[in-house]
Amino acid sequence: MKRTGLHWLAISVLLIAASSANADTRPQYGGTLHIAMTMSASSLDPAEMSDSVGARNLVALIFDTLVTVDATGRPQSALAESWQTVRGDRGLEFHLRRNVKFHDGSPLTAEITASSLRRGNPAWNVTVTGDTVTIETAASTPELLQEVALFRNGIAKRDASGMMSGTGPFHIVEWQAAKHLVLAANEDYWNGRPFVDEIDVDMGRNFRDQMNALESGRADLVEVAPEQMHRAVSQRYELLRSSPIELIALKFAKEAASAQEKASRDALRLSIERQSMHNVLLQGAGQSTASLLPTWMSGYGFVFSTQPDRSRAQQVRDQIPGVPSFALGYDSNDPLARLLAERIALNARDAGLSVQLNASATELRVVRIPLASWDPWTSLLVLNNQLSLPPIEVKAHSLEQLFASEQSMLASGRIIPLFHLPVAYAAGTNLHNWTVMPGGKLNLASAWLKSSQS
Amino acid sequence: MSFRRKLFLVFSASVALSVAAVAWLVQQVTRKAFEETENQRTLQLAGQFQREFSRQGEDVTRRVENMAASDTVNRMAALLNRTSAGSAEYFDLARSLAESHQLDFLELLDSRGMIVSSAQWPAKFGYPDSSFQDLAPFAQQPAFLKLEQLQDSTALGLFTVRSSGEGEHPVYVVGGRRLDKTFLSTLNVAPEMRVMLYQNRGEPFSAALLVDASSSPEDIPPAEKLAPLVEAVRRSNQEMSTPVRWSSDRADEEIFHAIPLRGIGKDHPLLGILLIGQSRRTYVELSRRIRDAALLAGGGGIILALFLSGWAAARVTRPIEQLADAAQSVAGGNWDTRVPASGHDEVAQLASSFNQMTTELLAQKERLVQAERVAAWRELARRLAHELKNPLFPLQLTVENLIRARTQSPEQFEEVFHESSQTLLTELANLKGIIGRFSEFSKMPQPQLQPVNVNEVLRGVAQLFQAQLKVPGNSAIECRLETDDSLGPIAADPELLHRAISNLVLNAMDAMLQGGKLTLLSRREPQKVVIEVADTGAGLTPEECARIFTPYYTSKQHGSGLGLAIVQSVVSDHRGTIAVRSEPGKGTSFVIELPERPQLADLGERSRLDAGEPVRS
Repeated sequence: MKRTGLHWLAISVLLIAASSANADTRPQYGGTLHIAMTMSASSLDPAEMSDSVGARNLVALIFDTLVTVDATGRPQSALAESWQTVRGDRGLEFHLRRNVKFHDGSPLTAEITASSLRRGNPAWNVTVTGDTVTIETAASTPELLQEVALFRNGIAKRDASGMMSGTGPFHIVEWQAAKHLVLAANEDYWNGRPFVDEIDVDMGRNFRDQMNALESGRADLVEVAPEQMHRAVSQRYELLRSSPIELIALKFAKEAASAQEKASRDALRLSIERQSMHNVLLQGAGQSTASLLPTWMSGYGFVFSTQPDRSRAQQVRDQIPGVPSFALGYDSNDPLARLLAERIALNARDAGLSVQLNASATELRVVRIPLASWDPWTSLLVLNNQLSLPPIEVKAHSLEQLFASEQSMLASGRIIPLFHLPVAYAAGTNLHNWTVMPGGKLNLASAWLKSSQS
Repeated sequence: MSFRRKLFLVFSASVALSVAAVAWLVQQVTRKAFEETENQRTLQLAGQFQREFSRQGEDVTRRVENMAASDTVNRMAALLNRTSAGSAEYFDLARSLAESHQLDFLELLDSRGMIVSSAQWPAKFGYPDSSFQDLAPFAQQPAFLKLEQLQDSTALGLFTVRSSGEGEHPVYVVGGRRLDKTFLSTLNVAPEMRVMLYQNRGEPFSAALLVDASSSPEDIPPAEKLAPLVEAVRRSNQEMSTPVRWSSDRADEEIFHAIPLRGIGKDHPLLGILLIGQSRRTYVELSRRIRDAALLAGGGGIILALFLSGWAAARVTRPIEQLADAAQSVAGGNWDTRVPASGHDEVAQLASSFNQMTTELLAQKERLVQAERVAAWRELARRLAHELKNPLFPLQLTVENLIRARTQSPEQFEEVFHESSQTLLTELANLKGIIGRFSEFSKMPQPQLQPVNVNEVLRGVAQLFQAQLKVPGNSAIECRLETDDSLGPIAADPELLHRAISNLVLNAMDAMLQGGKLTLLSRREPQKVVIEVADTGAGLTPEECARIFTPYYTSKQHGSGLGLAIVQSVVSDHRGTIAVRSEPGKGTSFVIELPERPQLADLGERSRLDAGEPVRS
């Protein structure tokens, strides 16, 4: 009897323990998720926001696109239940999901959708037929579906007071441009109510402040500078990172006006010692690169040499009369950009070039360019547009043409790739079930907060 | 210059000189005192800078030593001893260590002098620190001055080098603190002083390289004015002082003392210049106040001198002026002039003496007039006696002849009587002539003034005597007329003037019986017209010259002795003068000076005086 009692006691303890373990992993509704980010958005209109990972994350919380791209790169239905091509590769016809409402309660209509798409894509011919929205382009655009999934094509409605309204999982409660944003869960979200009640977004915080906020409990989820990832790991935060999706590069505002200037740019390119910067300044995060697309995306990135050639740089420089000089700009709120700029200036000096740092310089800047998509063609074409280079005529989606197109863009001398960096986030132990897409976008649809009481 | 003005000038000069001397003395003493104070303050501030330099240097050294001895740096040294591959993880260490140890500069260098981590220039990892050829000797030295190269500038700092880790490859910790505004603000700078640092980068002077505790380089009014001093110190590498005036206002001047700051090493390079500025505003303003006070005192003194000279004039110079006026009055013939003689001082005594003198002079004059009158009467009596004696003696002899003839030769009486009667009548006629001449002299008419051309008068006289001058059988007298045609008319009586000149011509003709040259001359002198009648006759002795105008005096056998007296009377009636110049054998010259514009009132007054009428004072 006594033995039987002990068995029952043991079974009871195991059952209680199992029940407790389930409580830890079972999603919980409620709570406010505090997020900090470096971006300072002055507008929440997807068509007006400049591209950054932060912007993509914010747009994804408030707005939906017609389609999305999943972790494997395949398009998935979102506001559009289905689609089909029209006029060959020159158009897509989307059938809208029914019974979807904006945050202000108004229904999602084809007209509003078309209007929103037109605002972000003036080149598109967007037409409406019933619940069907048709997008047509002048040229063949095989990657059109990938483009429709871009954040700038989030479907937004602006009311008479100028307030933005979307169909996303959260709606805007409070908005202080470039500073603070409070979002509340959309109870009627077509894809199911999110678990967290509110999301409080603190904008314009540098990486160090964000990490301090995470350490002090003022933030649950923060961005982590790639060079700081080891610190976050050492502090036992949950760290998630994307594939190297952000391109750090030197970007010239204009094409070289003369052969001499082109030679100066070549000398500068040859003088840059990426490896030491990667090892020290980036603490090994990401990849040194001389290509626009990361190797994981294109498959051929390694072909472009990242090794400096100081002697060649000096030879090129010696052919230029006088001392070629550059004013190098950078984002003064980005410590990594400043360090890279300083190091590039040192490398350039070794090659006999003069590089003066001036944060506000526009002719040459250290820039961070988040690649638009993990689809290489989409990323390359968007990048081509961003650099205002001549349009690339896509004849076939072959690797050879992708390589040739990229080589052509590099040959323009408008951009010198330096690194591909991942996007990383760290979260406190109370945030669960959050993920990062390969493209760096946060997926908070299923994230939930563990309450302190449980 | 009047005595009063002299007195005023003496007073003013005395006051002004005294005030100027005192002001100058005060200025000199003040300047010296200020200069001494400036020197003391500069020395104190330089000493304070040196002490602060040492104190901060010790502090930097202590902190760097602590870092070098810390586990973190020792671990890094141990790791780098094994392999340099892991140095990347220490990239940010210098920054965090610098923050925690409150240093502005911190570099961690490997044994080859390569930067592993840099707080001030993080991107410079892997590059050598060019400031050091060999780090080991520096690791034992106290803090030293060093010009640190930064990304886009340079900075002056206090540095210490210490090594960490055992073995062949130590790690060097190079820490430092910036010599900047913060450092300078720790100095206790007296008011009106300031201290600046100039970074010597070996380039031409630049205001951007100036560090001022109280303002930014842009706020230093034209900082380029410090360039000559900085350049001079750079050339000489020695302490120097120079005034720097920021504007045209002298109060905006500062005395800058420049002290070269040298680094360590073989050549002790000049890395910076300590500039200690001291405003001269207080001194200049005090100097201005002294000057203003001196000017005020001087001005007041001059005004006081004016009053004093006025007062002194009232007390001293006015009686003297009155005496001078009285003396001039006396000189003008007003012999009964008196001056007030109040008080008992020397001036009063002088006034009394003057009054006594004029009284005495008046008495003397009266006596002289009486004596002259008596002498004149005597002379008149003598002349009368002389004149009357000549005809009386024949009268007496004639009458005695008549008596004798009546008694002794009655028959001849009738003849004698007839002859005597003729003689008596002749002599009586002589007597009558003598009386007539005296009467004529006494009846000289008063001049009737009218515009008269002197040259015309002279020409008239010459023409009148032209015939007599060339009488056949007599020696000819040449008459020369030398007139000044610029002469204008004068106020005179033409008849009397003609008569006077005619008398002189007659006199000259009498003197040139053997012929000669007669010159009638007119000329102009200031405020008078001169008429000269000159002959080339025998001339006069000085005694004759002295008495020649005395009535009835004559050197001629048949002269009446009234001709020249009449001439003098006429000239005198015209308020003129007549003088005679003569030398025996060389002729005689009479010079008449007549006033160019005689005052009619004077003439009238003279006329009344001569007429014995009372004259109003």
